[in-house]
Amino acid sequence: MTSYITRRILLAIPVLIGLLVVTFFLVRLIPGDPCTAILGEKATPAACRSFDQRYGLDDPIPVQLVIYVKQIFQGNLGDSLQSSRPVTQIMVERLPLTIELTVTALFLAVLIGIPLGLLSARRHNSAADVATMTFANIGVSMPVFWLGLLLQYLFALILKDTFFALPPSGRLSAGVLPVPFYEVWGWAVNTHTMWGGFLEFIGEFAIFNAFITGDWHLLWDAVTHLILPGIALATIPLAIIARITRSSLLEVLGKDYIRTARAKGALERRVVAKHAFRNAMLPVVTIVGLQLGLLLGGAVLTETVFNLSGVGKSLYEAITARDYAVIQGFVVVIASGYVIVNLLVDISYGFLDPRIRYE
Amino acid sequence: MKTTRWVALLALFGLIVAACGSSTTDTTETTAATTTTVAPATTTTAPAEPSADFQGESLDAGSCDYGGKIESITALDEFTVEFDLCSSDPAFLQKAAFTPFGIQPEEHLQETGGAPLDNPIGTGPFMLEQWDRGNQIVFKANPDYYGQVPAFDTLVYRWATEGAQRLLELQSGNVDQITNPSPEDFQTIQDDPNLQFIPIANPNVFYMGFTNTFAPFDDVNVRQAIAKGIDRQRIVDNFYPDGSVVASHFTPCAIPNGCTGDDWYDFDPEAARQQLADAGFPDGFSTKIFYRDVFRTYLPDPGAVAVEIQTQLKDNLNIDAEVVVMESGDFIDQSTSGNLDGIHLLGWGADYPHITNFLDFHFNENQTQFGNNFPEIYDALKQGAKIGNPDDAVDVYTTANNAIKDLVPMIPIAHGAAASAALASVEGANYPPFGAPQFEFTNPGKDTFVYMQNNEPISLYCADETDGESLSPCQQVVEPLYTYAIDSGDVVPRLATSCDPNEDLTVWTCHLRTGVTFHDGSTFDANDVVASWSVGLDASNPLHVGNTGGFDYFAYLWDGLMNAEG
Amino acid sequence: MSDRISASDPEIERLEGMAPEPGQLLDQPTSVWRTALRRFLHRKISIAGMVLVGLMAVMAIFAPLIAPYGPNEVLIGKQDVRRFEDPCIHLLGCPESQPQHILGLDENVRDLFSRIVYGSRVSLTLGLSTVTVAIVIGAALGAIAGYRGGWVDNILMRLMDVVLGFPGFLLAIAIVAVLGPGLRNTLIALAVVTIPQYARVMRASVLSIKEVDYVAASRALGASSSRILLTRIAPNAITPLIVLGTLGIASAILEAAGLGFLGLGAQPPLAEWGTMLAENRNRVFSDPHLVFFPGLAIMITVLGFNLIGDGLRDALDPALNE
Repeated sequence: MTSYITRRILLAIPVLIGLLVVTFFLVRLIPGDPCTAILGEKATPAACRSFDQRYGLDDPIPVQLVIYVKQIFQGNLGDSLQSSRPVTQIMVERLPLTIELTVTALFLAVLIGIPLGLLSARRHNSAADVATMTFANIGVSMPVFWLGLLLQYLFALILKDTFFALPPSGRLSAGVLPVPFYEVWGWAVNTHTMWGGFLEFIGEFAIFNAFITGDWHLLWDAVTHLILPGIALATIPLAIIARITRSSLLEVLGKDYIRTARAKGALERRVVAKHAFRNAMLPVVTIVGLQLGLLLGGAVLTETVFNLSGVGKSLYEAITARDYAVIQGFVVVIASGYVIVNLLVDISYGFLDPRIRYE
Repeated sequence: MKTTRWVALLALFGLIVAACGSSTTDTTETTAATTTTVAPATTTTAPAEPSADFQGESLDAGSCDYGGKIESITALDEFTVEFDLCSSDPAFLQKAAFTPFGIQPEEHLQETGGAPLDNPIGTGPFMLEQWDRGNQIVFKANPDYYGQVPAFDTLVYRWATEGAQRLLELQSGNVDQITNPSPEDFQTIQDDPNLQFIPIANPNVFYMGFTNTFAPFDDVNVRQAIAKGIDRQRIVDNFYPDGSVVASHFTPCAIPNGCTGDDWYDFDPEAARQQLADAGFPDGFSTKIFYRDVFRTYLPDPGAVAVEIQTQLKDNLNIDAEVVVMESGDFIDQSTSGNLDGIHLLGWGADYPHITNFLDFHFNENQTQFGNNFPEIYDALKQGAKIGNPDDAVDVYTTANNAIKDLVPMIPIAHGAAASAALASVEGANYPPFGAPQFEFTNPGKDTFVYMQNNEPISLYCADETDGESLSPCQQVVEPLYTYAIDSGDVVPRLATSCDPNEDLTVWTCHLRTGVTFHDGSTFDANDVVASWSVGLDASNPLHVGNTGGFDYFAYLWDGLMNAEG
Repeated sequence: MSDRISASDPEIERLEGMAPEPGQLLDQPTSVWRTALRRFLHRKISIAGMVLVGLMAVMAIFAPLIAPYGPNEVLIGKQDVRRFEDPCIHLLGCPESQPQHILGLDENVRDLFSRIVYGSRVSLTLGLSTVTVAIVIGAALGAIAGYRGGWVDNILMRLMDVVLGFPGFLLAIAIVAVLGPGLRNTLIALAVVTIPQYARVMRASVLSIKEVDYVAASRALGASSSRILLTRIAPNAITPLIVLGTLGIASAILEAAGLGFLGLGAQPPLAEWGTMLAENRNRVFSDPHLVFFPGLAIMITVLGFNLIGDGLRDALDPALNE
């Protein structure tokens, strides 16, 4: 088992390094330079000279690469070219929101997707099967911004002033300012240290933060703002989860030991529930874990439509503004996260499915 | 199931932590967080007479050799500042009223190392409370403001990139005023009894630019033919909101001397074809139309207009134009450097209300955007820049305008109508033609006023910013010597009670308002003015740091920074 | 058994599991296909999907006959209409004096129905081309990796992992940002992002047959290994690729629409559904027909391909067929 884990970890390292290098070059291939993109219509040669010097953009490329890699190992992701703030700081502010959104979306997707998949599998090749799979696939077949706009229109305008009204965009209502839990509890925290930065990161999880400080008004505000984007984003994993549940269950149902149980006269429902279900869930659990990694970086459209300043939207804006530091930093973190999540899923799969361990 | 077990554990953990935590706080009454220390402004009775032991500071370039407009800025006494210019400037006040030239306390600039990016301190009607990055900016009213104290407690800035989003938020009652609703929604807003439509009279122009170093645009006959072959009325009728007009000149008529001289060519397709044939292109030619897909009041729908112009060129003149969209920064770079072989679609929104901001910026002797320059135009402009009173400059600008028509460096198409929208319940909702809304004059009938603009500000230190989304919140907090009137292009006193020029407009003596305190309690005096200007204007100043260090409006409006390298 | 080097995505695994069993190779390929086809047609999901896609295909092929106007025909001056004109259907009561535009007019005064009809050509071509390119390149890479093994295999799969490590849509944005906006670059970006999946699936197929290769070769009448590769392995290995490809067409059309939303996809005046949707996203409340109908067209097409893909998977997966 240990060798299995070690092997996976070792294999992940070159991938991560590859990611760093590819990002570095890819970003510099984009036409247009940061100075013109950021200073805009009024970028003069003199202004650009000082800009480039300040951000080390006038060093030769290999030097930049070395500095970049060195800084990453020191935990320094550089400063944003647009706002001069440390990329790590921006990440601390943006990542929690994306995680909250992703978790909400996955929760909804699992809640709806698994029952749909079960239903479809039980009624295999019937009209109900078609209807269920159509429903599951409708969400993923719609452009997410279309769905988002429709949801906004429905819940913010048509249902305005009713019980079902929901805020159309933003993370919190205007004027509602979150206070990190360590401030509420009177801790003296220096956010520039590693530990302080970590606490700040935790404090940025608005829902969790509100929960542990007992601020129910803030908690409710944060939750209601995540419902619509959560629904919109959930449509993507929902289809996949429904599909995988269905095929996984079908496959298991066709297996020999199920036939044996049926032959022994066990009730159909018990057969399904006891044997088939548990085994069919393995791949589903894996998929849920993988989707977590995928959604973290892929929620660009949802975040744009619902005006949530998360990782995806910031990354897209950084690409537009040629903010090299933010692009590199964010991609490194997202991709590393994805690789790590994959690793954890692989390892957990090893625990769950003994056959795998002995490869 | 695995997921539910984790959720339960997490909830349990949360409950335990919450139980150990202290009591709840009422979040509507938030304390100023880690960003700004804002002490309540104390009312000190400042002496009306300047104190004798005041040490006035000054910024002096020594000479005008560095090429800029300002030679020195000197604090003559506690409440008087003198600006010495290298050449006469009829638009001095109009430029000085621009938000980047707002005044902050000298000590604060020193404390922040020249970069108060998220904690500006000013004298304005609002004080910054907290910038919740990514989400909102919260301001509190300044109860000790010397001017109109706001009628409400809390001002909140939010942002959304899409016009439809902003309108939705307004209609759902979550925000009180928005900027730039989509032109297609103008009618919807006007028809909705819960909303009010606020037209903005900001002068702007949209034009088709030629780079006359590339054939066939090097032939003035070709340019004139195209000018006659575009039905500009059709473009304005179909692609611009109500209130927009066809441009008779490059400069909108609201700017003095903008519309002197002959009106632009009429649409005459037969004459256009004839002229093009005479120039050697009876069957037209191939070219490209370059544009960027960015919303601006002068061009709200770039994609559609590009296609429309393509259609017209083909139908009227048999010119085959390929539509090419470019990335915004790249487009600006290439077009302003004169590198685009074809037609480029660009425009201009007024920075300050003076004809030099339109004509001089685009047609001066050194510009590169349109290719070769024409002395017929720039000589006239040079003369006009020396004349202070617009009435005395009519002839000069008539010459310039007529030369522009003859030489067709570009074709002006439209002056776009802009608008803002607000809830009908907001009294005094405004959007001045220059500058940001002046919220101290609005009354929403409740404690909090929420304003939604297009984007998040880049920073709140506007000496070093150029985007409107930063300038707007800055303006609520930090004030310049003068400011723009709420309903016209006139300038009105702000931190200066008057600025008197000498005979040839080269020396401006500004008398400052007395008894004003900054939001942190410190007193406003002439040294703060000198410091705020120096930090931006003098590249060798150790506090010349800012955000990107560009201080672009200082460089652009005052013809260059002092002690700049290279 | 395949040696999984990177993340185990159960969907991919299932497709890898559809790699032909050694015994299958000695069957006639055609009978395998015929059974699969029969099973496919028996499934209601497949039928539903085929109906939807068929509808779009008909629209694409017979576009000039179906559409009343050209896709780029600007009607200013030719008809008395304005931008964003609402739909006017004579059968449903619109006065005869007004020209009929059953889905209304768009922002450049062009008939929306015609643009949607012609747009089916663009979207279907885009989807098919993207997937074809990705399959060809991906399968080639995967076959080489599987067949050669050793360090070639390692390097290629590492490369695939690096590409897979990026969030797909963001990588597509980055590639389009580098190459410039436009339909062709959208195709390249989407193809690049999806190549790894096809490579992995192909590799699994090839791996599972590799050892049998020598056995079969020795049994066969002196046939060379490349001949076996082409005539036996390829037809069988294609099945998981086809399933993945069908689903890939669906996601390619959607992601192209997403890129169009961000201004990076097809450029005006091309009639492409995603770009049409994106251009009018701010008019969703004032002129909903401009946003609704292109969105509906995308949805029907994508749904159709998704259902076909599901049906194919059911039909071809040996594990599902008792």
